[in-house]
Amino acid sequence: MIAQTNDSFVRWDWIWSHLDLVWEKVVEHLILTGIALGVGLAISLVLSAVILRWRPAYTPITWVTGIAYSIPSLALFAFLVPITGFTILTAEIGLVSYTLLILIRNVVAGIDGVDPAVKEAALGMGYTRRRLFFQIELPLALPVIIAGLRIAGVTTIGLVTVTALIGQGGVGFFILRGLNRFFSTEIVLGTMLSVILAVALDLALLGVERVLTPWSGRRGSAT
Amino acid sequence: MSEPMIRLSHVTKTFPGQSTPAVDDLSFDIAEGEIVVLVGPSGCGKTTTLKMINRLVEATGGTIEVAGTEITSVEAPILRQGIGYVIQRIGLFPHRTIGENIATVPGLLGWDKGRIKDRVTELIELVGLEQEMKDRYPSELSGGQQQRVGVARALAADPPVLLMDEPFGAVDPIVRSRLQDELLDLQQRVRKTIVFVTHDIDEAIKLGDRVAILNVGGVLEQYASPAETLSDPANSFVEEFLGEDRSLKRLSLTPIGSVELAPGPVVGPDATRSEVDAAMAQHGVDWVGVRTGPQLDGWVWGKDVTDTAGGATPKRFSVWLTPEQSLKEALDSVVSSHTGVAVIFDDESYLGMLSIEQISRHLLE
Repeated sequence: MIAQTNDSFVRWDWIWSHLDLVWEKVVEHLILTGIALGVGLAISLVLSAVILRWRPAYTPITWVTGIAYSIPSLALFAFLVPITGFTILTAEIGLVSYTLLILIRNVVAGIDGVDPAVKEAALGMGYTRRRLFFQIELPLALPVIIAGLRIAGVTTIGLVTVTALIGQGGVGFFILRGLNRFFSTEIVLGTMLSVILAVALDLALLGVERVLTPWSGRRGSAT
Repeated sequence: MSEPMIRLSHVTKTFPGQSTPAVDDLSFDIAEGEIVVLVGPSGCGKTTTLKMINRLVEATGGTIEVAGTEITSVEAPILRQGIGYVIQRIGLFPHRTIGENIATVPGLLGWDKGRIKDRVTELIELVGLEQEMKDRYPSELSGGQQQRVGVARALAADPPVLLMDEPFGAVDPIVRSRLQDELLDLQQRVRKTIVFVTHDIDEAIKLGDRVAILNVGGVLEQYASPAETLSDPANSFVEEFLGEDRSLKRLSLTPIGSVELAPGPVVGPDATRSEVDAAMAQHGVDWVGVRTGPQLDGWVWGKDVTDTAGGATPKRFSVWLTPEQSLKEALDSVVSSHTGVAVIFDDESYLGMLSIEQISRHLLE
């Protein structure tokens, strides 16, 4: 449909005339990523709370999420489509499962890293276990948890492009269509947008950490 | 002793997987408003005993009462909100400001904002910090300042009982000594029942109204006032634990004012050579003090007196002590002066002098 003859590698006029579509796909990309990170973090916090209560759960939980992490994304989506179809659910099952290992490890490491003296003082002053978790351990683990979110976020932004194969995909849409039509402008556009989104998300999370942990001064984030 | 604030009856703790108890059948009472120091070598169960009082460690036998209430009859968090707790590594909340840290227990108890704010201001004042520190984070404070905040936080809800687990163990000796003085000063004002754990016998003697000396396995070897413990150790373990300089420690506990002072070899400025000789012979010394009215002008060598004692230009005593100072300081003065005595005065008037014989007689009494 689109003539490739004597065109330059990137046709800026094409991009300018499709800005609405670009914007739509960027928003879709961010929504897919946001859901993946939000749901992933929620599941990770629950599983981490289980691990903190009952330490023997750590090995099986990281084992299962480790396997999920190691399944090639293409294969995972191919496997899920017959069950859940070409839906956002299929995309999110894959995306969420890739965040779990990183997030659980960081949540647990972050909370393990809280100074035992702080925990002892809190319990000694009459904190319940629950209050200790939400008001002391979780806030103090924030730098490490956000460090995990940054890694998971960058990974997820990249993975979202793959879900273009099942009709989702955000800016991956351009990459896939560009490949199908031998149209380099779309491939470059999709790739650049994906990279820009990853960098932007990383910086945004860094900013969130700075705002949420004013007490940690200039120490930066721990990993 | 009236109804004790804390009563331990046959308290035992055996940790899981251990055959010998960490604390074995321990019983003693702690009176209201006293500082009781638990001291002993490592493995004596002193920290375990302390933590059983606020149930951070659950006793496996016996009972503990705080203010007449058996501690297992209330929920552990509720119990702990009513007992101040200070630990060696302080454990300030790094993500909360100094003010917020101090407000911890009042916050748990649901005090209203205004009351908490007033209380925080009051406590910062009480422990000798500056009000502008309220909005800083713990990492911006020195170790000594952090420990003051730790004490303020423990006192915030005005609990009757304060548990302190080696609170000054991690600060350097100078700060440590100052924090000890501040604690004693603070106790004058707040009159809490304080249980204090340390491995340092000198700290125990300095701070304790009573000292509980524990042996390995949580065996109570002696429970008495520091003076009593030092003058009459219950057994060879206590004696050894108190150390070689037990007598010096006793001296450091005794104020000069508790000893009867003698005027010593003192004469008026008009005293003749023969009067000077008589005074020196009576006290077995070769010098005399020269006194005008309530003042002690100084001292002269007997051999230098030709006409009158005052005519030999008395030399000033270099060290003057007050009755509040300890016999240990008097002894230091005795061994470092030409005359071999410590001169005691009260404001401007001369009270008397102490010789080494008088000090050692006091120890042997």
